[in-house]
Amino acid sequence: MQEHTDILRFIINGREIYTQAPHDMMLSDFLRDQLFLTGTKKGCGKGECGACTVIVNGDAVNSCMILLGKVNGAIIETIEGLEKDGKLHPLQESFVQKGAVQCGFCTPGMIMSAKALLDRNDNPSKEEIREALGGNICRCTGYVKIEQAVEAAVEEIRKNAGKETKDE
Amino acid sequence: MNNNIGNGISRQDAYEKVRGVAGYTHDVVLPGMLHSCVLRSPYAHAKVVSIDTTAAEALPGVYAVGTYKNTSSRLFNASGVMAFLAPDLNPVLDQVIFTDCPRYIGDEIAGIAAETEEIAQHALRLIKVKYKKLPTVFDPLEALESNAPLLHPHISSCNTPGGVYTVNQGDVATGFQECDVVFEGKYKLPIQKQAQLETQAAVADFRRSGELIVYSSTQSTHPTRIILAHIFDMDQSKVRVLNPKYVGGAFGVRIGMSGKAEAIAAALSKLAGRPVQTVYSREEDFMASDSRHSGYVSVKLGAKKDGTFHALDIHAVLNTGAYTTYGIEVGIVLGNLATSVYRMPHIHYDGRVVYTNILTAGAFRGFGNPQGTFALEAAVDGIAKMLHKDPLELRLQNIVCDGDVWPLAYPCRASGLGECLSKAAKGIDWKQHGKFDAVGRFRRGIGISSGTHLCGTASSACAVLRLEFDGSLQIATGTSDIGTGNMTAFQQIAADLVGIPLERTYVMWSDTDNTPYDIGAHSSRCLYSIGLALEDASHKMKEKILDYAAEMLEESPKQLRVEQGVIRGGNREITVTELADHAHRREIQFVTRGFPRNNGFTATWHAVAADVEIDTYTGVVNVLKIVAAHDIGKAINPVSVEGQIEGGIVQGLGYALREEMTIQADGRPYNTSYHTYMLPTIGDIPEMEIQLVECPDPSGPLGAKGTGESGMVSTAAAIAAAVEDAIGVRPQEIPMTPERILKILKD
Repeated sequence: MQEHTDILRFIINGREIYTQAPHDMMLSDFLRDQLFLTGTKKGCGKGECGACTVIVNGDAVNSCMILLGKVNGAIIETIEGLEKDGKLHPLQESFVQKGAVQCGFCTPGMIMSAKALLDRNDNPSKEEIREALGGNICRCTGYVKIEQAVEAAVEEIRKNAGKETKDE
Repeated sequence: MNNNIGNGISRQDAYEKVRGVAGYTHDVVLPGMLHSCVLRSPYAHAKVVSIDTTAAEALPGVYAVGTYKNTSSRLFNASGVMAFLAPDLNPVLDQVIFTDCPRYIGDEIAGIAAETEEIAQHALRLIKVKYKKLPTVFDPLEALESNAPLLHPHISSCNTPGGVYTVNQGDVATGFQECDVVFEGKYKLPIQKQAQLETQAAVADFRRSGELIVYSSTQSTHPTRIILAHIFDMDQSKVRVLNPKYVGGAFGVRIGMSGKAEAIAAALSKLAGRPVQTVYSREEDFMASDSRHSGYVSVKLGAKKDGTFHALDIHAVLNTGAYTTYGIEVGIVLGNLATSVYRMPHIHYDGRVVYTNILTAGAFRGFGNPQGTFALEAAVDGIAKMLHKDPLELRLQNIVCDGDVWPLAYPCRASGLGECLSKAAKGIDWKQHGKFDAVGRFRRGIGISSGTHLCGTASSACAVLRLEFDGSLQIATGTSDIGTGNMTAFQQIAADLVGIPLERTYVMWSDTDNTPYDIGAHSSRCLYSIGLALEDASHKMKEKILDYAAEMLEESPKQLRVEQGVIRGGNREITVTELADHAHRREIQFVTRGFPRNNGFTATWHAVAADVEIDTYTGVVNVLKIVAAHDIGKAINPVSVEGQIEGGIVQGLGYALREEMTIQADGRPYNTSYHTYMLPTIGDIPEMEIQLVECPDPSGPLGAKGTGESGMVSTAAAIAAAVEDAIGVRPQEIPMTPERILKILKD
């Protein structure tokens, strides 16, 4: 069998994706233009606003600054992958419930930054939340309800984790 | 009946937005769509001597190169003034799509449509332009001098489109003679940028049939359609403008066109015969779409010994940049609102907006009011100091009350301003004012500001309700939802007033093809103006439903009630679904159209208090707490209202402390990226307390009025007042950067 060295492979939202896209294409463009995962937004193209934040191998990154070739083999999560079996992720749910969404353009990036934090720290302090979301610009909300939404999601996730432990 | 109105129910659009499936103009892809880019002037004022596009046109993959030579040369105004304007004013038409006389760095010279963005960018570099540089002017005061270069001599012989706007009441000259104390101050305001997250964008499809379809990030599809039909000299009916469905923030920057994205995309699509997407880069968005007006505001305020205000004279010179867009109206609103907060027998205002060779200033949340408020509130505190009066008491003594005479065209109808001031003062612990120690490295201070804003342009609003075959309700209004939540509020109003569950109401997102004419989402008007239309349409719909039900149930309509989709009367009931089905099968449809019962504006009221700590070593102003009390008449959705106010406060915080576009010697703005234009981040947010005062406005729908802009208006003034309390000096320029604070401390 012939080797296709130029083929890149990713796990995106749990699905295996192979592509011959150029290695110097930006991850954000690949997601948006080739996979039509347009939930990942581009607000600046320079890694300054965080609207394009996705999770690569567990880390929140600005996908507009990531060359496709550099993340070959990576496990990538985007906003579209958060909803499981028709159920919103607790972060998505709390962003809706707390009124943390206005124009919505920063929302996917905000949620992905928050998810990367919660995935490795299930009880973050206010400072840790602020640090994790410090690179995500929102021009609508004034951040108040975004912070409240993340705090509410933390509680919800911890409550669910407690339930699961009890069930076991 | 009212289980939605007054409740902070979840925004219906938020479900799509958190899933990442919400569509914005950036996401629109059409078959055969080309990408575009724009050649922008490197000079602040020049004449194009020659332009050679042959090499660019020859590049494979290039489908169109547009310049002033081959695109529409019809003059237009990119803002909403093409569709609506204060009476007696004519829109100033001073823009073209591509110019041969650039008037600021960034002015559009040429556009390319190509298979990919990379090819378009490559082609751009192949265009050869020869410029003849012309004299420039960047400061509005210099632009008023007799020897200043003229930007649009055919419009103004002194760089002032619109001339001088004045407000007059009583006789200020006599008024000041009768005053015991007079305070005078002059304030300098910066260029603030909307910096909304979604940059200006449009996808245009100019079809060979002569139809033009434009997906747009505008906050006003109908006015944008009017502008495009004018530019391309076609019937408005052949132009369709729509949001797809969402807009990634706006704050005034796209009332009318999104910069020129719609016109550029349409012109290139016409040349190429294929759909064209135009998306501004962040740099283009900063340098080539409207900002807030910078400039100078002087204020002179006189009072009697007992603190009663007696005379007010305000003078504004605003920098409107290279083109007029909303400039003239911004000058008008500044004067009208700064003269309508305090009772004053003698008032004079004169304001002018001035052309200069920098980016155009236009509409931005607050629309002139933050500038005027910043100056006026400084004067109020100045008088308090001169008379050794408490600034809060002085404000309470002088604020306008219901029914007061003022210079505005709409009446002072209902005001909870006094309550706002009291609540803001309580929240910030006002008794500490003037009591902090003025020693040591860190200095605390507390300040307060009163404010008003207008909401309205109720004219040109319309709501159409359609009860579908299955009993669900379609709500059509011509406005956009730019993120403020007005669409959900519309659902709340229609659901409760008609009597059906909110889950069975649906809004049509702004699309000129299937919504009634409306002037768009701005002027804090959606809830007020369209809310009024919706109230009317909902009452009519309910009446139609009950009339029909009366026949089915053989009851008088007066005996019937409709709640949660069920009509009850006597001991019988029928669902709206059954009724709709019954009627449609008998060729009867229920469609109602509502209009506002008034066609003007009304005033909103607010007070903002700030608590700050200043590091006298570094000059950093740290805002510890903001309390904002807003009289919004009635909160249809309190969570959305809070969100509007919080967002406005943080824009005001940026305006007060950090945000500024500075212009370099050649006219190039220094700050054209998020990295260089310092927006507040989540780490900069002080403790915030929002208090809602509900003083029902008789002119509003269910007593409500709009609050999209008011959060922005007084924040900077309140912070400056707190800074004055902390260090004893009122900053006369914003943003209050560490450098400026250190300079004040040094002086």
